[in-house]
Amino acid sequence: MVEPLPTAVDSVAALTDHDLMLAVRDGELDALGELFERHHGPLYGFLVKLTGHRAAAEDIAQIVFQRMLKYRHTYRDDGSFTAWMYHLARRCAADHFRKASAAPAATDPHDLSERADDAPDAGAQAATRDEHALLHTALNRLDRNDREVLLLARFQELSFAEIATILECSVGAAKVRAHRALRELRDVYLALQRETRN
Amino acid sequence: MNCTSAQERFSELLDGRLAEPDTAEVRAHLAACPDCQRDYASLASTLSALDRLPPAQPGPRLRAGFYAMLEEEKNSAASLRAAVERRRHAARVSLWRWILGPVAVGALAVGAFLAGTRYAPPAAPAPMDAATRQEIADLKARVDSVGQLVGYSLLQQRSTSERLQGVLATLDQKNPNQKILADLVGALALDPSVNVRLSALDALYPHADHQIVRAGVLATLPREQNPLVQVAMIDFLVAARDRDAAPEFQRLAGSATVDLAVREAAKRALAQL
Repeated sequence: MVEPLPTAVDSVAALTDHDLMLAVRDGELDALGELFERHHGPLYGFLVKLTGHRAAAEDIAQIVFQRMLKYRHTYRDDGSFTAWMYHLARRCAADHFRKASAAPAATDPHDLSERADDAPDAGAQAATRDEHALLHTALNRLDRNDREVLLLARFQELSFAEIATILECSVGAAKVRAHRALRELRDVYLALQRETRN
Repeated sequence: MNCTSAQERFSELLDGRLAEPDTAEVRAHLAACPDCQRDYASLASTLSALDRLPPAQPGPRLRAGFYAMLEEEKNSAASLRAAVERRRHAARVSLWRWILGPVAVGALAVGAFLAGTRYAPPAAPAPMDAATRQEIADLKARVDSVGQLVGYSLLQQRSTSERLQGVLATLDQKNPNQKILADLVGALALDPSVNVRLSALDALYPHADHQIVRAGVLATLPREQNPLVQVAMIDFLVAARDRDAAPEFQRLAGSATVDLAVREAAKRALAQL
Protein backbone atom coordinates (compact mmCIF):
# COMPACT_ATOMS: atom_id res chain seq x y z
CA MET A 1 0.00 0.00 0.00
CA VAL A 2 1.38 3.39 -0.98
CA GLU A 3 1.59 5.98 1.77
CA PRO A 4 -0.20 9.26 1.05
CA LEU A 5 2.21 11.80 -0.33
CA PRO A 6 2.91 14.96 1.68
CA THR A 7 0.65 17.86 0.77
CA ALA A 8 1.71 21.42 0.18
CA VAL A 9 1.32 24.13 2.75
CA ASP A 10 -1.76 25.61 1.19
CA SER A 11 -1.57 29.11 2.44
CA VAL A 12 0.87 31.60 3.75
CA ALA A 13 -1.43 32.05 6.75
CA ALA A 14 -0.13 28.77 8.16
CA LEU A 15 3.44 30.05 8.35
CA THR A 16 4.93 31.49 11.52
CA ASP A 17 6.16 35.08 11.74
CA HIS A 18 9.69 33.76 11.96
CA ASP A 19 9.34 31.65 8.81
CA LEU A 20 7.81 34.56 6.93
CA MET A 21 10.64 36.89 7.90
CA LEU A 22 13.19 34.31 6.86
CA ALA A 23 11.43 34.12 3.52
CA VAL A 24 11.66 37.90 3.21
CA ARG A 25 15.33 37.71 4.09
CA ASP A 26 15.81 35.16 1.36
CA GLY A 27 14.23 37.39 -1.25
CA GLU A 28 10.52 36.50 -1.05
CA LEU A 29 9.48 40.08 -0.39
CA ASP A 30 5.73 39.50 -0.63
CA ALA A 31 5.93 37.59 2.64
CA LEU A 32 6.43 40.95 4.34
CA GLY A 33 2.89 41.79 3.22
CA GLU A 34 1.52 38.98 5.37
CA LEU A 35 3.61 40.24 8.29
CA PHE A 36 2.23 43.74 7.72
CA GLU A 37 -1.35 42.46 7.82
CA ARG A 38 -0.69 40.60 11.05
CA HIS A 39 1.26 43.22 12.94
CA HIS A 40 0.65 46.75 11.73
CA GLY A 41 -2.45 47.11 13.94
CA PRO A 42 -0.82 46.19 17.26
CA LEU A 43 2.35 48.05 16.27
CA TYR A 44 0.38 51.19 15.49
CA GLY A 45 -1.57 50.85 18.74
CA PHE A 46 1.65 50.53 20.71
CA LEU A 47 3.10 53.61 19.01
CA VAL A 48 -0.02 55.71 19.57
CA LYS A 49 0.06 54.94 23.27
CA LEU A 50 3.79 55.51 23.40
CA THR A 51 3.87 58.83 21.55
CA GLY A 52 0.33 60.07 22.29
CA HIS A 53 0.23 61.19 18.68
CA ARG A 54 -1.65 59.38 15.88
CA ALA A 55 0.12 60.94 12.92
CA ALA A 56 3.52 60.36 14.46
CA ALA A 57 2.54 56.76 15.21
CA GLU A 58 1.63 56.24 11.56
CA ASP A 59 4.90 57.77 10.38
CA ILE A 60 6.93 55.67 12.78
CA ALA A 61 5.08 52.47 11.84
CA GLN A 62 5.86 53.19 8.19
CA ILE A 63 9.53 53.62 9.01
CA VAL A 64 9.60 50.40 11.05
CA PHE A 65 8.37 48.36 8.07
CA GLN A 66 10.77 50.21 5.79
CA ARG A 67 13.66 49.27 8.05
CA MET A 68 12.54 45.65 8.34
CA LEU A 69 12.68 45.49 4.57
CA LYS A 70 15.93 47.38 4.19
CA TYR A 71 17.74 45.47 6.93
CA ARG A 72 16.15 42.10 6.22
CA HIS A 73 19.57 40.53 5.76
CA THR A 74 20.28 41.15 9.44
CA TYR A 75 17.36 39.02 10.61
CA ARG A 76 18.82 36.03 12.41
CA ASP A 77 18.03 32.33 12.08
CA ASP A 78 17.51 32.25 15.83
CA GLY A 79 15.65 35.54 15.92
CA SER A 80 12.20 36.30 17.26
CA PHE A 81 10.18 38.39 14.85
CA THR A 82 8.07 40.29 17.37
CA ALA A 83 11.07 41.12 19.54
CA TRP A 84 12.97 42.35 16.48
CA MET A 85 10.07 44.47 15.29
CA TYR A 86 9.52 46.17 18.65
CA HIS A 87 13.25 46.70 19.03
CA LEU A 88 13.20 48.58 15.71
CA ALA A 89 10.01 50.40 16.75
CA ARG A 90 11.63 51.58 19.95
CA ARG A 91 14.63 52.96 18.08
CA CYS A 92 12.40 54.74 15.57
CA ALA A 93 10.26 56.17 18.38
CA ALA A 94 13.40 57.39 20.15
CA ASP A 95 14.42 59.21 16.96
CA HIS A 96 10.98 60.77 16.88
CA PHE A 97 11.22 61.96 20.48
CA ARG A 98 14.64 63.44 19.85
CA LYS A 99 13.37 65.42 16.89
CA ALA A 100 10.18 66.39 18.73
CA SER A 101 12.07 67.82 21.69
CA ALA A 102 14.28 69.78 19.32
CA ALA A 103 11.34 71.40 17.57
CA PRO A 104 7.86 71.32 19.13
CA ALA A 105 5.40 69.70 16.73
CA ALA A 106 2.19 71.41 15.65
CA THR A 107 -0.86 69.86 17.25
CA ASP A 108 -2.51 67.36 14.93
CA PRO A 109 -6.27 68.02 14.82
CA HIS A 110 -6.84 64.25 14.95
CA ASP A 111 -5.19 64.14 18.33
CA LEU A 112 -7.59 66.55 19.92
CA SER A 113 -10.32 63.94 19.89
CA GLU A 114 -8.05 61.67 21.94
CA ARG A 115 -7.32 64.28 24.55
CA ALA A 116 -8.65 64.25 28.08
CA ASP A 117 -9.75 67.88 27.87
CA ASP A 118 -12.77 67.02 25.73
CA ALA A 119 -15.90 68.16 27.53
CA PRO A 120 -17.69 65.00 28.67
CA ASP A 121 -21.26 64.37 27.47
CA ALA A 122 -23.91 62.75 29.59
CA GLY A 123 -24.51 59.02 29.60
CA ALA A 124 -22.71 55.73 30.14
CA GLN A 125 -21.02 55.95 26.78
CA ALA A 126 -19.60 59.26 27.83
CA ALA A 127 -18.45 57.76 31.11
CA THR A 128 -16.56 55.12 29.21
CA ARG A 129 -15.09 57.76 26.95
CA ASP A 130 -14.08 59.63 30.07
CA GLU A 131 -12.38 56.56 31.44
CA HIS A 132 -10.46 56.09 28.21
CA ALA A 133 -9.52 59.73 28.04
CA LEU A 134 -8.36 59.76 31.65
CA LEU A 135 -6.29 56.65 31.10
CA HIS A 136 -4.67 58.16 28.02
CA THR A 137 -3.85 61.24 30.03
CA ALA A 138 -2.45 59.12 32.84
CA LEU A 139 -0.35 57.18 30.34
CA ASN A 140 1.00 60.35 28.83
CA ARG A 141 2.03 61.59 32.24
CA LEU A 142 4.28 58.62 32.83
CA ASP A 143 7.96 58.87 32.19
CA ARG A 144 8.47 57.64 28.62
CA ASN A 145 10.66 54.71 29.70
CA ASP A 146 8.01 53.56 32.16
CA ARG A 147 5.33 53.86 29.49
CA GLU A 148 7.46 51.84 27.12
CA VAL A 149 8.01 48.89 29.42
CA LEU A 150 4.36 48.87 30.50
CA LEU A 151 3.18 48.72 26.90
CA LEU A 152 5.69 46.07 25.88
CA ALA A 153 4.64 43.89 28.81
CA ARG A 154 1.07 43.94 27.42
CA PHE A 155 2.25 41.81 24.50
CA GLN A 156 1.88 38.29 25.73
CA GLU A 157 4.05 36.96 22.95
CA LEU A 158 7.03 38.93 24.26
CA SER A 159 8.84 37.23 27.10
CA PHE A 160 10.61 39.33 29.71
CA ALA A 161 13.89 38.10 28.30
CA GLU A 162 12.87 39.60 24.96
CA ILE A 163 11.59 42.78 26.59
CA ALA A 164 14.92 43.12 28.37
CA THR A 165 16.74 42.77 25.04
CA ILE A 166 14.50 45.40 23.47
CA LEU A 167 15.11 47.78 26.38
CA GLU A 168 18.79 46.85 26.50
CA CYS A 169 18.70 46.09 30.21
CA SER A 170 18.73 43.00 32.40
CA VAL A 171 15.64 40.82 32.89
CA GLY A 172 15.55 41.79 36.56
CA ALA A 173 15.69 45.49 35.71
CA ALA A 174 12.92 45.09 33.12
CA LYS A 175 10.66 43.41 35.67
CA VAL A 176 11.31 46.08 38.28
CA ARG A 177 10.59 48.80 35.73
CA ALA A 178 7.36 47.12 34.66
CA HIS A 179 6.28 46.75 38.26
CA ARG A 180 7.08 50.39 39.01
CA ALA A 181 5.42 51.64 35.85
CA LEU A 182 2.15 49.90 36.64
CA ARG A 183 2.07 51.39 40.12
CA GLU A 184 2.83 54.82 38.73
CA LEU A 185 0.03 54.49 36.18
CA ARG A 186 -2.37 53.35 38.87
CA ASP A 187 -1.47 56.28 41.13
CA VAL A 188 -1.80 58.89 38.38
CA TYR A 189 -5.03 57.36 37.09
CA LEU A 190 -6.65 57.28 40.53
CA ALA A 191 -5.55 60.87 41.18
CA LEU A 192 -7.11 61.99 37.90
CA GLN A 193 -10.33 60.16 38.73
CA ARG A 194 -10.47 61.95 42.10
CA GLU A 195 -9.86 65.31 40.40
CA THR A 196 -12.71 64.86 37.94
CA ARG A 197 -15.10 63.83 40.71
CA ASN A 198 -14.33 67.01 42.66
CA MET B 1 6.14 35.88 52.11
CA ASN B 2 5.88 39.45 53.43
CA CYS B 3 3.96 42.38 51.93
CA THR B 4 6.97 43.85 50.11
CA SER B 5 7.88 40.60 48.36
CA ALA B 6 4.27 39.95 47.46
CA GLN B 7 3.71 43.46 46.10
CA GLU B 8 6.81 43.23 43.95
CA ARG B 9 5.21 40.30 42.17
CA PHE B 10 1.72 41.74 41.58
CA SER B 11 2.50 43.11 38.15
CA GLU B 12 3.88 39.78 36.95
CA LEU B 13 0.99 37.89 38.50
CA LEU B 14 -1.52 40.13 36.75
CA ASP B 15 0.24 39.50 33.43
CA GLY B 16 0.13 35.77 34.02
CA ARG B 17 3.91 35.70 33.90
CA LEU B 18 4.62 34.58 37.42
CA ALA B 19 6.05 31.09 37.95
CA GLU B 20 3.90 28.52 39.74
CA PRO B 21 5.51 28.32 43.21
CA ASP B 22 5.62 32.13 43.47
CA THR B 23 2.03 32.40 42.30
CA ALA B 24 0.84 30.10 45.03
CA GLU B 25 2.77 32.02 47.68
CA VAL B 26 1.49 35.39 46.53
CA ARG B 27 -2.10 34.18 46.44
CA ALA B 28 -1.70 32.71 49.92
CA HIS B 29 -0.42 36.07 51.17
CA LEU B 30 -3.25 37.94 49.47
CA ALA B 31 -5.83 35.72 51.09
CA ALA B 32 -4.57 36.82 54.49
CA CYS B 33 -3.68 40.49 53.94
CA PRO B 34 -6.38 43.15 53.38
CA ASP B 35 -3.87 45.93 52.63
CA CYS B 36 -2.29 43.90 49.85
CA GLN B 37 -5.74 42.94 48.62
CA ARG B 38 -6.59 46.62 48.14
CA ASP B 39 -3.28 47.30 46.46
CA TYR B 40 -3.70 44.32 44.14
CA ALA B 41 -7.31 45.18 43.30
CA SER B 42 -6.46 48.75 42.27
CA LEU B 43 -3.59 47.52 40.12
CA ALA B 44 -5.87 44.92 38.54
CA SER B 45 -8.54 47.47 37.70
CA THR B 46 -5.98 49.88 36.22
CA LEU B 47 -4.57 47.14 34.07
CA SER B 48 -7.94 45.96 32.88
CA ALA B 49 -8.86 49.57 32.01
CA LEU B 50 -5.63 49.73 30.00
CA ASP B 51 -6.52 46.52 28.20
CA ARG B 52 -10.03 47.79 27.54
CA LEU B 53 -8.78 50.84 25.65
CA PRO B 54 -10.19 50.54 22.15
CA PRO B 55 -7.42 49.64 19.70
CA ALA B 56 -6.42 52.66 17.70
CA GLN B 57 -6.95 52.17 13.97
CA PRO B 58 -4.45 53.62 11.57
CA GLY B 59 -5.68 55.59 8.58
CA PRO B 60 -5.50 54.22 5.03
CA ARG B 61 -2.23 56.06 4.52
CA LEU B 62 -0.24 53.42 6.39
CA ARG B 63 -1.33 50.48 4.26
CA ALA B 64 -1.05 52.42 1.01
CA GLY B 65 2.40 53.67 1.97
CA PHE B 66 3.56 50.22 2.95
CA TYR B 67 2.52 48.49 -0.27
CA ALA B 68 3.94 51.29 -2.36
CA MET B 69 7.25 50.94 -0.57
CA LEU B 70 7.16 47.16 -1.01
CA GLU B 71 6.53 47.50 -4.74
CA GLU B 72 9.43 49.89 -5.05
CA GLU B 73 11.76 47.51 -3.30
CA LYS B 74 10.58 44.61 -5.43
CA ASN B 75 11.35 46.60 -8.51
CA SER B 76 14.80 47.49 -7.40
CA ALA B 77 17.79 45.91 -9.07
CA ALA B 78 18.67 43.60 -6.25
CA SER B 79 15.19 42.10 -6.22
CA LEU B 80 15.30 41.64 -9.97
CA ARG B 81 18.44 39.57 -9.69
CA ALA B 82 16.84 37.41 -7.05
CA ALA B 83 13.74 37.04 -9.23
CA VAL B 84 15.81 35.76 -12.14
CA GLU B 85 17.34 33.22 -9.81
CA ARG B 86 13.93 32.17 -8.55
CA ARG B 87 12.53 31.74 -12.07
CA ARG B 88 15.34 29.37 -12.83
CA HIS B 89 14.32 27.25 -9.94
CA ALA B 90 10.61 27.79 -10.47
CA ALA B 91 10.77 25.47 -13.46
CA ARG B 92 11.68 22.71 -11.05
CA VAL B 93 9.26 23.90 -8.39
CA SER B 94 6.44 23.67 -10.90
CA LEU B 95 6.67 19.89 -10.80
CA TRP B 96 7.51 19.35 -7.18
CA ARG B 97 5.29 21.88 -5.42
CA TRP B 98 4.57 19.57 -2.59
CA ILE B 99 8.14 19.24 -1.56
CA LEU B 100 8.34 21.52 1.42
CA GLY B 101 9.42 21.47 4.95
CA PRO B 102 12.72 20.69 6.43
CA VAL B 103 14.53 18.76 3.79
CA ALA B 104 17.64 18.70 5.86
CA VAL B 105 20.57 18.11 3.61
CA GLY B 106 24.25 18.26 4.50
CA ALA B 107 27.46 19.07 2.68
CA LEU B 108 30.07 16.66 1.51
CA ALA B 109 32.90 17.00 -0.94
CA VAL B 110 31.68 16.28 -4.44
CA GLY B 111 34.78 14.20 -5.02
CA ALA B 112 34.06 11.85 -2.17
CA PHE B 113 30.65 11.07 -3.56
CA LEU B 114 31.60 10.82 -7.19
CA ALA B 115 34.54 8.61 -6.37
CA GLY B 116 32.67 6.83 -3.66
CA THR B 117 30.53 3.79 -3.48
CA ARG B 118 28.08 3.04 -6.24
CA TYR B 119 25.34 0.65 -5.32
CA ALA B 120 24.74 -2.47 -7.35
CA PRO B 121 22.19 -1.71 -10.03
CA PRO B 122 18.78 -3.03 -9.08
CA ALA B 123 16.91 -5.68 -11.05
CA ALA B 124 14.90 -4.49 -14.05
CA PRO B 125 11.74 -2.76 -12.78
CA ALA B 126 8.24 -4.19 -13.06
CA PRO B 127 5.93 -2.27 -15.42
CA MET B 128 4.33 0.72 -13.74
CA ASP B 129 0.89 -0.11 -12.36
CA ALA B 130 -2.18 2.04 -12.86
CA ALA B 131 -2.24 3.25 -9.26
CA THR B 132 1.29 4.62 -9.42
CA ARG B 133 0.66 6.15 -12.81
CA GLN B 134 -2.35 7.91 -11.33
CA GLU B 135 -0.33 9.08 -8.37
CA ILE B 136 2.27 10.64 -10.58
CA ALA B 137 -0.41 12.25 -12.71
CA ASP B 138 -2.09 13.64 -9.58
CA LEU B 139 1.21 14.98 -8.42
CA LYS B 140 1.85 16.79 -11.64
CA ALA B 141 -1.69 18.10 -11.72
CA ARG B 142 -1.38 19.47 -8.23
CA VAL B 143 1.52 21.65 -9.18
CA ASP B 144 0.74 25.22 -10.06
CA SER B 145 3.29 27.90 -10.18
CA VAL B 146 4.79 30.57 -8.19
CA GLY B 147 2.99 30.66 -4.86
CA GLN B 148 5.19 27.89 -3.53
CA LEU B 149 8.21 30.09 -3.64
CA VAL B 150 7.61 30.89 0.00
CA GLY B 151 7.70 27.21 0.80
CA TYR B 152 10.66 26.74 -1.49
CA SER B 153 12.58 29.41 0.29
CA LEU B 154 12.00 27.50 3.50
CA LEU B 155 14.33 24.94 1.99
CA GLN B 156 16.90 27.59 1.34
CA GLN B 157 16.87 28.89 4.86
CA ARG B 158 19.14 26.10 5.95
CA SER B 159 22.81 26.36 5.17
CA THR B 160 24.30 23.98 2.64
CA SER B 161 26.08 22.11 5.41
CA GLU B 162 22.82 21.69 7.28
CA ARG B 163 20.93 20.64 4.19
CA LEU B 164 23.12 17.65 3.48
CA GLN B 165 22.56 16.12 6.89
CA GLY B 166 19.24 14.57 5.94
CA VAL B 167 20.66 12.99 2.81
CA LEU B 168 23.35 11.35 4.89
CA ALA B 169 20.80 10.29 7.45
CA THR B 170 18.72 8.53 4.83
CA LEU B 171 21.68 6.37 3.89
CA ASP B 172 21.22 4.57 7.18
CA GLN B 173 17.59 3.81 6.57
CA LYS B 174 16.94 0.32 5.28
CA ASN B 175 13.32 0.99 4.38
CA PRO B 176 12.79 4.69 3.97
CA ASN B 177 9.18 5.77 3.74
CA GLN B 178 7.64 7.75 0.92
CA LYS B 179 8.27 11.04 2.68
CA ILE B 180 12.03 10.49 2.84
CA LEU B 181 12.14 9.45 -0.80
CA ALA B 182 10.06 12.49 -1.69
CA ASP B 183 12.43 14.68 0.29
CA LEU B 184 15.41 13.25 -1.57
CA VAL B 185 13.78 13.74 -4.95
CA GLY B 186 12.87 17.24 -3.83
CA ALA B 187 16.47 17.97 -2.94
CA LEU B 188 17.51 16.67 -6.34
CA ALA B 189 14.96 18.90 -8.04
CA LEU B 190 15.19 22.04 -5.96
CA ASP B 191 18.43 22.43 -4.10
CA PRO B 192 20.57 25.28 -5.38
CA SER B 193 23.77 23.45 -4.49
CA VAL B 194 25.24 21.05 -7.01
CA ASN B 195 26.90 19.08 -4.22
CA VAL B 196 23.59 18.56 -2.50
CA ARG B 197 21.81 17.50 -5.68
CA LEU B 198 24.51 14.96 -6.48
CA SER B 199 24.42 13.61 -2.95
CA ALA B 200 20.66 13.27 -3.11
CA LEU B 201 20.92 11.33 -6.35
CA ASP B 202 23.48 9.03 -4.81
CA ALA B 203 21.24 8.46 -1.84
CA LEU B 204 18.44 7.49 -4.21
CA TYR B 205 20.45 4.73 -5.92
CA PRO B 206 19.42 1.93 -3.56
CA HIS B 207 15.80 2.91 -4.06
CA ALA B 208 15.77 3.07 -7.84
CA ASP B 209 13.36 0.12 -7.76
CA HIS B 210 10.66 2.52 -6.50
CA GLN B 211 8.77 3.77 -9.51
CA ILE B 212 8.16 7.06 -7.79
CA VAL B 213 11.91 7.59 -7.52
CA ARG B 214 12.62 6.81 -11.17
CA ALA B 215 9.70 8.95 -12.26
CA GLY B 216 10.97 11.78 -10.07
CA VAL B 217 14.48 11.64 -11.47
CA LEU B 218 13.19 11.43 -15.01
CA ALA B 219 10.83 14.37 -14.48
CA THR B 220 13.65 16.46 -13.08
CA LEU B 221 16.16 15.67 -15.81
CA PRO B 222 14.78 18.10 -18.44
CA ARG B 223 15.07 20.93 -15.93
CA GLU B 224 18.58 20.24 -14.70
CA GLN B 225 21.11 22.70 -16.07
CA ASN B 226 24.32 21.46 -14.54
CA PRO B 227 26.18 18.96 -16.76
CA LEU B 228 27.65 17.05 -13.80
CA VAL B 229 24.21 16.41 -12.42
CA GLN B 230 22.69 15.74 -15.84
CA VAL B 231 25.24 13.01 -16.56
CA ALA B 232 24.74 11.53 -13.11
CA MET B 233 21.00 11.41 -13.66
CA ILE B 234 21.42 9.77 -17.05
CA ASP B 235 23.67 7.15 -15.45
CA PHE B 236 21.07 6.60 -12.76
CA LEU B 237 18.28 6.01 -15.22
CA VAL B 238 20.43 3.63 -17.27
CA ALA B 239 21.40 1.68 -14.15
CA ALA B 240 17.72 1.51 -13.28
CA ARG B 241 16.99 0.24 -16.80
CA ASP B 242 14.23 2.82 -17.13
CA ARG B 243 13.03 2.60 -20.72
CA ASP B 244 10.66 5.52 -20.12
CA ALA B 245 13.75 7.69 -20.17
CA ALA B 246 14.51 6.94 -23.81
CA PRO B 247 12.59 9.91 -25.29
CA GLU B 248 14.38 12.31 -22.94
CA PHE B 249 17.75 10.75 -23.82
CA GLN B 250 16.91 11.22 -27.51
CA ARG B 251 16.13 14.88 -26.88
CA LEU B 252 19.35 15.46 -24.97
CA ALA B 253 21.46 13.58 -27.50
CA GLY B 254 20.14 15.78 -30.28
CA SER B 255 20.06 19.13 -28.48
CA ALA B 256 22.49 21.80 -29.61
CA THR B 257 22.23 23.75 -26.34
CA VAL B 258 23.22 20.84 -24.16
CA ASP B 259 26.77 20.26 -22.97
CA LEU B 260 28.84 17.85 -25.09
CA ALA B 261 29.49 15.48 -22.19
CA VAL B 262 25.78 15.28 -21.57
CA ARG B 263 25.01 14.56 -25.23
CA GLU B 264 27.61 11.81 -25.25
CA ALA B 265 26.18 10.30 -22.06
CA ALA B 266 22.68 10.39 -23.52
CA LYS B 267 23.84 8.64 -26.70
CA ARG B 268 25.59 5.94 -24.67
CA ALA B 269 22.48 5.57 -22.56
CA LEU B 270 20.31 5.00 -25.63
CA ALA B 271 22.70 2.32 -26.79
CA GLN B 272 22.59 0.58 -23.44
CA LEU B 273 18.85 0.65 -22.91
